[in-house]
Amino acid sequence: MGAISAIGSSVTENRMALMQDKCGIGPLELFATRYASLLPFGEIKSTNTFLQEQLKAHEPGLTRTTLLALHAFDEAIADARLSPLQVQEFETALIGATTVGGMCLTDQLYHDANKTEDGSEFLASYDCASVNLYLQKRYGINGIVNTFNTACSSSANAILYGARLIKNGFAERAIVGGVDSLAKFTINGFNSLHILSPDKCTPFDEQRKGLNLGEGAAFLVLEKEENIAGKKRYAELTGYCNTNDAYHASSLSNEGDGPFLAMEGALAQAGLSPADISFINAHGTGTENNDLSESRAMLRLFETVPAFASTKANTGHTLGAAGAIEAVYSILNLVHQEVYASLHFNQAIAATGLQPVQSQKQMPLKHVMSNSFGFGGNCASLIFSKADQ
Amino acid sequence: MFYIHQSSCISAQQTFGTAAIASLQDAVNNRLQVIEPSYEGIPTGILRRMGKAIRMGVGAALPLIKGSVAIDGIIIGTANGGMEDCIKFLNQIIEYDEGMLTPTNFVQSTTNAIAAQIGLLSVNKGYNATHVQRGLAFENALLDAAMLLKENAAASYLVGGVDEISAYNYNIDYLDGWFKKQPLAAKDLYSSNTAGSMAGEGATMFLVNNKPEGAAARVAGLCLLHTGDETLLAAQLELFLKKHLPAGEQIDLLLSGEDGDNRLNKFYDAVESVLDNHAAVARFKHMMGEYATVTAAAVWLAVSVLKNQTVPLHMIKKDAKPSAYQRILISNNHKGRQHSFILVENTR
Repeated sequence: MGAISAIGSSVTENRMALMQDKCGIGPLELFATRYASLLPFGEIKSTNTFLQEQLKAHEPGLTRTTLLALHAFDEAIADARLSPLQVQEFETALIGATTVGGMCLTDQLYHDANKTEDGSEFLASYDCASVNLYLQKRYGINGIVNTFNTACSSSANAILYGARLIKNGFAERAIVGGVDSLAKFTINGFNSLHILSPDKCTPFDEQRKGLNLGEGAAFLVLEKEENIAGKKRYAELTGYCNTNDAYHASSLSNEGDGPFLAMEGALAQAGLSPADISFINAHGTGTENNDLSESRAMLRLFETVPAFASTKANTGHTLGAAGAIEAVYSILNLVHQEVYASLHFNQAIAATGLQPVQSQKQMPLKHVMSNSFGFGGNCASLIFSKADQ
Repeated sequence: MFYIHQSSCISAQQTFGTAAIASLQDAVNNRLQVIEPSYEGIPTGILRRMGKAIRMGVGAALPLIKGSVAIDGIIIGTANGGMEDCIKFLNQIIEYDEGMLTPTNFVQSTTNAIAAQIGLLSVNKGYNATHVQRGLAFENALLDAAMLLKENAAASYLVGGVDEISAYNYNIDYLDGWFKKQPLAAKDLYSSNTAGSMAGEGATMFLVNNKPEGAAARVAGLCLLHTGDETLLAAQLELFLKKHLPAGEQIDLLLSGEDGDNRLNKFYDAVESVLDNHAAVARFKHMMGEYATVTAAAVWLAVSVLKNQTVPLHMIKKDAKPSAYQRILISNNHKGRQHSFILVENTR
């Protein structure tokens, strides 16, 4: 596994931060936008120059999105002890996810899109595929390479697609994950929808005021069950499901049909019943709409709603990276038999009465569910189960 | 892999509704822009707010989602989705210095908005995915459909490819050297011996499942590859044919993705060198233009050739006159790095 977010530049740093209730959301220091001092963000405090040096990535046209992805990718393949040759095997797939891709360079894109001469170095870097095309070329990946964009559920879909490639015999191993960096495009987009909180977000709180945007990346190495002898294993991906809420372009239905069906489908895929779920890493963005719909969907599905929390209050909403980052957190839950506090929670939503986990603690965990719901009604739920030792 | 039952294609040629592809619609300013239908069936208020990519995507999907076969999920490949809306919103960000903006363009510009709108209009709560791997976005959508049909053998899926020419992505790709600098007639695309191609756009949808009865064609094999090495590409094609061609059978027609860019001919030459003299060779990018998901339109053309057993004259590069068209190989590459083979078979 590899992860970088506003609370840490490695999986270990992320776990330490989660253990210490660290909130990475605050004023912007690196990214220039009119909203830098007006709204809080989950910014990674590493400059692009620092990342380029650290990653030895100096090709022209590299965007911050690609650099963050490379950071998490490198950590993941090192953690899995994959050799360059293993990465290049035709049976190794790379499945990524992003929603902004190279559009983090809003000003350069503005220039290049509106001119017919004097192009910048980033002409081939704006689309979502540019990130994985770089990783593919850098590592000489020969297996299937794909990128998802299903808005905020993108990297959850990348993870389940990787699992399905393995299951259906199109890969033996899949390196799966997602990335997004802060962009004027998304900042202004979410702001135009009036769903950015002026304060640090408070998922599942009655007084919640919206989400905070964050940035980050995470990759995980999935290995086929038959091939895992002698390899490090953190957890088993046992359930997954992709559904659509089919209600509205930018908000979820009142009863949370899409979320309900995604969670239900993931349980069915895993052969589990609702009572088997020990903990849920909720989507929990902190918006009025998401948290209410997700809560209602949980109440519909679970007789007793399991312990749940949202790590968006730590990292901000990292959009296309969220599903992968939170998959890493869910796996950390399982590996260390611990759950992390849902920060800034004060008062339960009156209509549901649900309270997230409010302090970090040890807890016996067998099956952890991770939810990701996005614009366009795109919902996905994953279930990770404790690896048999 | 699976069967195609219905297909629908909005392109620069007369492919939507009653098809008439024997005569060639020419490019305007090196752009092959789609012939847009009247979009009956999309409520006017919704249609007005739709950007072109979403409009074309929903428009091509409508005849299929209104049909008698229940659809279990929607899978779209698109490199850029609603690029026009995307840059409109971007322009507002810069021109209004991040002032208060209206969200319409933003919501429309997310790449998943096409699949989402189709899901919304057909109230489809099943699988919904958007693949954006640029020149292999549609191929990944096909692979996704193939896997879904292994996982849910009785299901049917809508799978398609959509990309639009916006002034903006035209500029970006033009600056990057992917479009020709001199004005050209579509019929002369392959003879200029210069770099770059002609811009294209389109929306093509298929209804696919595992039922052979009544099928229009079968997608029998699929190969996706990222490489800049034509020798490796040819070796992969040999493996592909060995795996997917029944013993004693041959490819009757190669639909070659040649796009007039003389830097990319080496890949198509390598592909042709693997096939024997039996195979006729036809080209399609003078009809559809060059865009990331053009192979969706190529699959539509393959289905059309299998049905009509004739190839329009303007498409023919090498006329081998096979006794019948039974197996069509689509070979494509996007910007020299993303390659695909799709094998389409007659089911009649």
